[in-house]
Amino acid sequence: MLPVNRVTQSTPMSALWHPAIRADWLVLRRTGANAFVRILGAPALLLACCVAVACGDFYGGYGWCLAAAALLALGGGHAIVYARWLDALKRWRFGWCGALPVGLGATRSTLLLVTTAALLVSLALVTALLLVVSVSAPHRADLPYAWAGLELALVVGTAAAALRALRTDTGVHVADGIREPLFALPWLNDPRLPHWLDWQRRAVLVRWRRGGGAVMVGVVLVGVPDGPSIPMVVALVLLALSWTWLAVVMRASADATTAAVHLLGAAPLDMRRARLASFRYPIVAAACALVLVIVGAILGGRAAIALGWAVCACAVSAWPLVRILRATRSPESSA
Amino acid sequence: MTALLRATGLRVAYGDVRVLDGIDLEIARGEFVALIGPNGAGKTTLLHAIAGTAPLCGGTVDIAGHDLANAPRGAKQAIGLAVDPPNLPALLTGRECLALFAGARGLPVIPPATLALGETLSLTHVLDRRIASYSLGMRQKLGILLGLIGEPPLLLLDEPFNGLDPRSALAFKSHLIATIARGGASVLLATHSLDIAERHATRVVLLMDGYVRRSWDAGELATMREHPGLSLEKAMAEACGP
Repeated sequence: MLPVNRVTQSTPMSALWHPAIRADWLVLRRTGANAFVRILGAPALLLACCVAVACGDFYGGYGWCLAAAALLALGGGHAIVYARWLDALKRWRFGWCGALPVGLGATRSTLLLVTTAALLVSLALVTALLLVVSVSAPHRADLPYAWAGLELALVVGTAAAALRALRTDTGVHVADGIREPLFALPWLNDPRLPHWLDWQRRAVLVRWRRGGGAVMVGVVLVGVPDGPSIPMVVALVLLALSWTWLAVVMRASADATTAAVHLLGAAPLDMRRARLASFRYPIVAAACALVLVIVGAILGGRAAIALGWAVCACAVSAWPLVRILRATRSPESSA
Repeated sequence: MTALLRATGLRVAYGDVRVLDGIDLEIARGEFVALIGPNGAGKTTLLHAIAGTAPLCGGTVDIAGHDLANAPRGAKQAIGLAVDPPNLPALLTGRECLALFAGARGLPVIPPATLALGETLSLTHVLDRRIASYSLGMRQKLGILLGLIGEPPLLLLDEPFNGLDPRSALAFKSHLIATIARGGASVLLATHSLDIAERHATRVVLLMDGYVRRSWDAGELATMREHPGLSLEKAMAEACGP
């Protein structure tokens, strides 16, 4: 028998908290700093980008930057919250704890409480960041508008994502229905590592569907009232869509590469070849996204400024390429 | 006989928990070595340490004359590790996954022998379906095919009969024995099926608490098969102690 001090006491079931949340928290703590960076990285980047876009108004007097920042907060907040709710709902329904007698109320209340806490922290962070960046700005008078726009956008985006996730049937596999591309580019696939690229492309599609990619168009269109001209709206749609899509491509491609290298861990995989194969899809996707960004920048006028912002945003989104480089590091060179 | 695998002083730890504590193991060409032991003995970890998918704290692995640490590609060219069913990529079809593994091994196409084994295991009809829709048994069969693709000289199999229907299990067992008999491969099989180990293995190694507790050579196993009063089960129980 175990000594008394080694007997683990079980926590009584709560109507408010899903029991898996405690296990998730323990796993997170034990995984270390990388896990926290992965979880907090995307929201932190989103908030920083929103505030950075708002600087276009504070320092340059471009009012449309506030609208763009609010749209970014709305769409980005929606995408992040929706993806994470779906992930949690799916894991808790079909994962190791799926057979536990846990009511739907506990699942919902856990997600609502965690999301509300995260939202409050985000709102406080946005407030602090806006105060800091506008302290010596020539157009500081626009601070209340920026603050109200961003906070409202985050609240609305989060609420819409939560409602949408609750109405989504998690039993439906988002991978189902993935078809071959309409315009297949056979030369893009590395013949010596066939289907590596297909794996990346399908992973991107799955993530795009889960992140509510199609919603982005609607968000941009609904968010822009009758003020700007049609070309400006089209420009915003192109910029928002291409940036969002590129970010999804980069992250999903890096994840698929890591998974592929892990799967082929015992095979005599040529890491140089794997690295080249891994970069094909993200680079072609980045080129396509940049074409859309350039078209959007030209349509929206002020092409140089818009293009500069967009290219910087795309460059920030490309950080997962570093993960591809690390995943395909040759064991010979590290030995 | 020439040693195909020579593992010396293998040590693997997960955090503070030492799983393998100085394992020495040699496998000659044409040998069928069964690895047995209680849960948590380190059987799976030993297979992954040999395959280079578990980080070593110490020791060396030499496969077909290639040091795993310094020449991993050469060493891995000589091994085939059956893939664990949960690790298979849900987004690819079985055929795509086979083609990817064939490419990684430098093969231009999926070898006909692999497709023939797939047919024997009744997997052909699902090869063009996404792996996400496979049952546990189908995944197990695909994992076996991925390990055997390109006919590497050393096969590392971790409980490959789990989830297989009796017909497929018999077919795979026959394939394995025939391959070994014609000198096509050596096998290191981690298993709890003592009857397979006792009947077919040329050597049985008992792993316990991270080290080799006992091993039975071909002569001892032949004696067990001949005497109804003797069995690997009893021998293992005695070796494990109270």
